[in-house]
Amino acid sequence: MEGLLAGNEDAVRALYARYARPIFTLGLRLLGSREAAEELTQDVFLAAWRKAARFDPSRGRLSTWLMTIAHNLAVDRLRRETGASRPRLVLVDEVPEVVGADEEASMIERDIAVRALSTLSDAERRLLVRAYFGGLTAREIAEADGIPLGTVKTRLRTALIKVRRANVDKERLR
Amino acid sequence: MTCVQVRELLAERAVGVLPDGDRAEVEQHLRWCAGCRKEAAELDSAAATVAFALAPVPMPAGLGERIVARVRQAAGSPGSPRRLRTAVAVAVAAVVAVAGLGWGAVMAGRAERLADRAEQVELRQAEALDRFRQVLARVVPGAELPEQETFLGRLVPVGPEMLGGGAVLQLVSPNRIDFAIVLVNGLDTDGPDGVPYRVTLSNRSGDLLRVGRIDELDADGGAQLFRQFEGQELVGYTHVRVTDASGTVVLEGVVDQSPAALGS
Repeated sequence: MEGLLAGNEDAVRALYARYARPIFTLGLRLLGSREAAEELTQDVFLAAWRKAARFDPSRGRLSTWLMTIAHNLAVDRLRRETGASRPRLVLVDEVPEVVGADEEASMIERDIAVRALSTLSDAERRLLVRAYFGGLTAREIAEADGIPLGTVKTRLRTALIKVRRANVDKERLR
Repeated sequence: MTCVQVRELLAERAVGVLPDGDRAEVEQHLRWCAGCRKEAAELDSAAATVAFALAPVPMPAGLGERIVARVRQAAGSPGSPRRLRTAVAVAVAAVVAVAGLGWGAVMAGRAERLADRAEQVELRQAEALDRFRQVLARVVPGAELPEQETFLGRLVPVGPEMLGGGAVLQLVSPNRIDFAIVLVNGLDTDGPDGVPYRVTLSNRSGDLLRVGRIDELDADGGAQLFRQFEGQELVGYTHVRVTDASGTVVLEGVVDQSPAALGS
């Protein structure tokens, strides 16, 4: 991370090789165009460079930190662009095209993520996807589905805790 | 907001759908509450997992090099003021991190109230670093800060009953006006022997230079001082002391003025 902080090109390339594709993919799904996704990916790496000194490995993984930056930047952009249509997301478990050796790490991340999401019920997974990718608030989901707000909040929290627990279990086995 | 109220909102925060008003209050709470921050980090991590589950898409050609170029441009070319300031910031971050560990060790095994306080002090390190950077940016707006003339030291509590810590940055130059920036954090805000705190530099002969007086601490027991020493070189003034209102030394440290101190 000190390499990134100092603007070291090799450090930036190493981070790019490992994490750019999932970040770009998230950008494309959230923002709906490859141009916007590319801008987002650039912004994420620039933000990571600016915030590198604040990254604390004892409080979370680098992949999580980068993806949180990406999601926050994308959500902020969607908020700014009033009226922007939010793309509907479909989680497709398809085999990606050939990836380089450097991307093995992100493929492992994906494997862990897919398995973690598979521990959720359909309702929980759908709720998580509508909030995380669709940007729907708990209140909006409650109103759309005609269920109590408290139920939506509890279900969302339960879903995240389940995912977290599955991740922790998986990491123990690695 | 109470911890219970905050924790009810952390899941929505993690997936990025918390309304602005609530978001501001939650973020404010998380700045000082370690328990809620830990839970927030766990939920953030879970939310990020959702993104990693997406089926990867093809990448635009050349994006990697464009990103490298953008970061390189932002970081500045070798020798540029920005790069030098970044190098200073890295060194300050290291000093602050070490100072944090020192405080933790000092506080170990002490009464719970003090342990809580020490934890809060450590949690403020990132903000302390930001403040140092802000001071630095004001002091040298766009000006070159020569790496070989910039030296750092850390301040640690003098005794087991003392609180806080800090960092010192000195510019010691043959052709510029020397200056010192002192950043303290975690000092006692409500004790009878608190403010004003005084910060001094001394050399081996015992000659004293005043950096300044701290009349007010922020909520974290933090403050910053900056002084330029016109007509006075700081060579050899490596010992830094912070004394409280009763004259007791509460923090102490040594600035390493050896040429290689900052080069790493």
